[in-house]
Amino acid sequence: MDKFVVLNPEEELRLIREEILPGFQPPEPRFLLPVLHEIQARLRYLPLEGLRAVSEYLGLSAAAVWGVATFYPQFRFAPPGQNQVRVCLGTTCHIKGGEAILESWERELKIKTDETTPDRLFSLERVACVGCCSLAPIMTVNDSIVGKSSPISVKGEILKAKTVRGPKTQTNSNDQ
Amino acid sequence: MKKNNNSGSQKAWEQLQKRTNREISGKPVPEIRLGTATCGRASGALETLAAFREEITRSAPAARLLEVGCVGHCYAEPIAVVANPGFPPILYGPVTPGVARRLVRDFLGEGDPCLEFALGAVEENEKIPSVFELPRFRMEKKIILEHAGWIDPARGEEYLLRGGYRGLFRALGMDPRDVIREVKAAGLRGLGGAGFPAGEKWEICRAFPGKTKYVVGNGDEGDPGAFMDRALLESDPFSVLEGMTIAGYAVGSHRGFLYVRAEYPLALERARTAMESLRGLGLLGKNILNSGFDFEVELARGAGAFICGESTALAAALEGKRGMPRVRPPELAEKGLWGKPTLLNNLKTLAAAARILDQGSPWFRSLGTSRSKGTAVFSLAGKIHNTGLIEVPLGTTLREVVDTAGGGVPKKKALKAVQIGGPSGGCLPAGLADTPVDFDSLKEAGSIMGSGGMVILDEDDCMVRTARFFLDFIQKESCGKCAPCRIGTYQMLKILDGLTRGKGSDAEMKILEELALEVQQGSLCGLGKTAPNPVLSTLRYFREEYEAHYREGRCPARSCRDLIAFYIIPEKCSRACEVCVGACPVEAIAAGAKGIKVIDQEKCVKCGSCYQDCPIEFQAVIKVSPPKTGGK
Amino acid sequence: MKRIKLTIDGKKITARPGTMLLAAALSRGIWIPNLCFIPEAELPFGGCRLCWVEVEGEKDPVTACSRPVREGMAVRTRGQRAERLRKSAFELLLSRHHLDCRNCPKNKNCGLQEIAGRCGYPLKPGRFAREIPGLPVDDSHPKIIYDPNRCVLCGKCVWVCQTKREGVLDFSRRGLACRISTFADRPLGETRCGGCRQCVDICPVGALVRKK
Repeated sequence: MDKFVVLNPEEELRLIREEILPGFQPPEPRFLLPVLHEIQARLRYLPLEGLRAVSEYLGLSAAAVWGVATFYPQFRFAPPGQNQVRVCLGTTCHIKGGEAILESWERELKIKTDETTPDRLFSLERVACVGCCSLAPIMTVNDSIVGKSSPISVKGEILKAKTVRGPKTQTNSNDQ
Repeated sequence: MKKNNNSGSQKAWEQLQKRTNREISGKPVPEIRLGTATCGRASGALETLAAFREEITRSAPAARLLEVGCVGHCYAEPIAVVANPGFPPILYGPVTPGVARRLVRDFLGEGDPCLEFALGAVEENEKIPSVFELPRFRMEKKIILEHAGWIDPARGEEYLLRGGYRGLFRALGMDPRDVIREVKAAGLRGLGGAGFPAGEKWEICRAFPGKTKYVVGNGDEGDPGAFMDRALLESDPFSVLEGMTIAGYAVGSHRGFLYVRAEYPLALERARTAMESLRGLGLLGKNILNSGFDFEVELARGAGAFICGESTALAAALEGKRGMPRVRPPELAEKGLWGKPTLLNNLKTLAAAARILDQGSPWFRSLGTSRSKGTAVFSLAGKIHNTGLIEVPLGTTLREVVDTAGGGVPKKKALKAVQIGGPSGGCLPAGLADTPVDFDSLKEAGSIMGSGGMVILDEDDCMVRTARFFLDFIQKESCGKCAPCRIGTYQMLKILDGLTRGKGSDAEMKILEELALEVQQGSLCGLGKTAPNPVLSTLRYFREEYEAHYREGRCPARSCRDLIAFYIIPEKCSRACEVCVGACPVEAIAAGAKGIKVIDQEKCVKCGSCYQDCPIEFQAVIKVSPPKTGGK
Repeated sequence: MKRIKLTIDGKKITARPGTMLLAAALSRGIWIPNLCFIPEAELPFGGCRLCWVEVEGEKDPVTACSRPVREGMAVRTRGQRAERLRKSAFELLLSRHHLDCRNCPKNKNCGLQEIAGRCGYPLKPGRFAREIPGLPVDDSHPKIIYDPNRCVLCGKCVWVCQTKREGVLDFSRRGLACRISTFADRPLGETRCGGCRQCVDICPVGALVRKK
């Protein structure tokens, strides 16, 4: 059921070089953001050696690719946890208690924002605004948007994520 | 039908009309249109969709189920329109899975329209009260959102059937310069924030020579608290694409980019599907409507940077660079994408342009005020009953928006301020509720129109904390290029941080004000130049609230967490009720003697859940600022 | 092409159309404070916000680096409104600058010192508390030392490295965390940098210096 495949570094690099990059023709610097999006969609993060391959393919300096990748908050450089939790801190979520919800997640998962739990089950991020203000406060767990959330509802979401997705280990797809 | 002097397109147009009519019409079948835009989904629209699907298969297999966008009434999501032959189409909401099953069984099956779940009929009729009797429907004037929530955003045919693409058809029969004249005559101003006259922008771009030019649709709606562009793209991407094509024709461009925030995956998906549909209909791509005009649009996805709403930063992002704004001149119209003349417009501006070309500038000019023509789309959120999207003629007062369209502030709380324009805008106090909503009046009052986010604040919202929130947002979103924005907003934030903790001094307040003006004047781009607005506007209207924080350690709105404490009044607490115990995320509340609940101040994280959830008949939880010592 | 006539602080000068005020002034020996301006660059960077001037007939000061010359323009470089913005930007830059002139290799040859001296500003962050980034100094390279805590983010090194050399340096991150770095923040000594030291020559402060 996992959309994402967990690969070793060589496989990751092969996937980027052979499956992702050739899809962008002809190689032009303007493809940098779409390429980074595509890599992250497939691997859930941007491996450093992959970025180097991107720079060679698009004819950019590696430093420039690093500069772009670190500029945009969508991109991350380490794999996130199995369940990605995002708490919206837009204006409306702010006045309706979004911070208390973020803190509730931090407390329950015993991690800080932008961290991943040691068992790699959850990672926690904040998001500037998901544009669902009329149902604030909002949190998103993986692809589902939870409106009108409350600090206590965090406990339920954790339980739900654990039972639906299960405390699987990360290696379930290495046998492919 | 309007005449087109290009006989090739005239014929193509007629054929297209015939084809859509044939495909859409036919024997009337019961039809359900369910809003599954993001806001609908957050209210459970996908579960409702599944329930509809299941029940239709079981008891009304002839009925059609369509997914549409958002009609703007988020407070009643999930929303569905049910068209059952023999009845006027009826708008329902909120449609839970249970309601969905009943609508199929009882309405489609038995002819009982289940009016207890209805908002009203969407056509005037004899039988059923219509939604147009509701004040919100009466005051709204939908131009940009005309089709949002009614059409299937995946099928261009539905847009055509409701009059879509008449604007482009008419434009293709005109000289491009006349198209620009029409937009100018309409008085359309950019709806992305600054309100620059759109026709003039088109004219400037057209005037720069060059074979290659670009049109960019700016859908990088980053203002927290704003969701107009998201709803528009999820509900009716066609209007935007039609507007882009018209703009392309007018300025002499054959290639457009539609830039959408990465945080809006559904908007991206629906825009992509819509583009495919339009290509299939010959309305996008080569030789549009057989007119000889080519226009292709590429969808581009943002990557989470607010700054990319700034036009030069957006251009940098499209080129694959860091989204750092650059100095101007040259303007994008002269040297934009890859050094070529580029026209950049907000999505709503583009959609409005499509309507203007269809209905003509005199019609558009008849809406709005003398200097602000047309309508404005606002997303209403915060402390208001009827959240959602509204579109009203410019010049409507804030009071009308809040009270009539929004249904006022809930829980009998007093309206305190209206925050308009996000981090670039300001907070207007309740005393200015009669300010008309237009570009110039808002600016005069210390805010801006912005892209249209409107957040309603009530007596429980602290203005210092609100200002801090926006500064914190801007400080995180600053690109880092220029010193006033990169470091200045940080220094301002440090002072505001202190204030929300009860720390500060007259001297720091003076620095805050000086620096606000210096950042406003000294920054490189619009983000920095407008960043101090939330601070300046709250200082202008709510100075005494700032002073209470550092002079008395008191937050008058009882909102800043370092300056408040929660207590339960024993006399009011009900022994039988344990709502607060269940709501507390940290087990700080326990029943003490005789079942009266007590908050352990050491454990309390001041999240306010108990205060919010304590049943209205008891109201036993109170908030105090400054926090008492001793803990009674 | 007809040259444009203008006056700066009462001094009459001429410039080619399209020239920016700052370039016109500097080429005629009129000094306007700046840290990020590169005469050869296609577009001005516009990041340091120090080159404020006042143009007669205009309410707000403008940055000289980004304002094209205009016929008959009368410019004042030291007006009160321009000074206010300049001093503000200067103080802000100093609040993030590791101020330790005595131990800085650029002492007496530093853009910040020059501005302080010529404008009569104290070499202090003024109203603001100093808070330097606290990043490690990179002395891994045989010829160059990079101290990000002295960097003012003028971008000159990036321009020279990206347009003339290997492109080892670029901006990374954003906002207050924005900095000049190599790919993945690797030490300079582990990069392809050949040590041409053009970045050292162009750095206006003590962020990139020669290793002795």
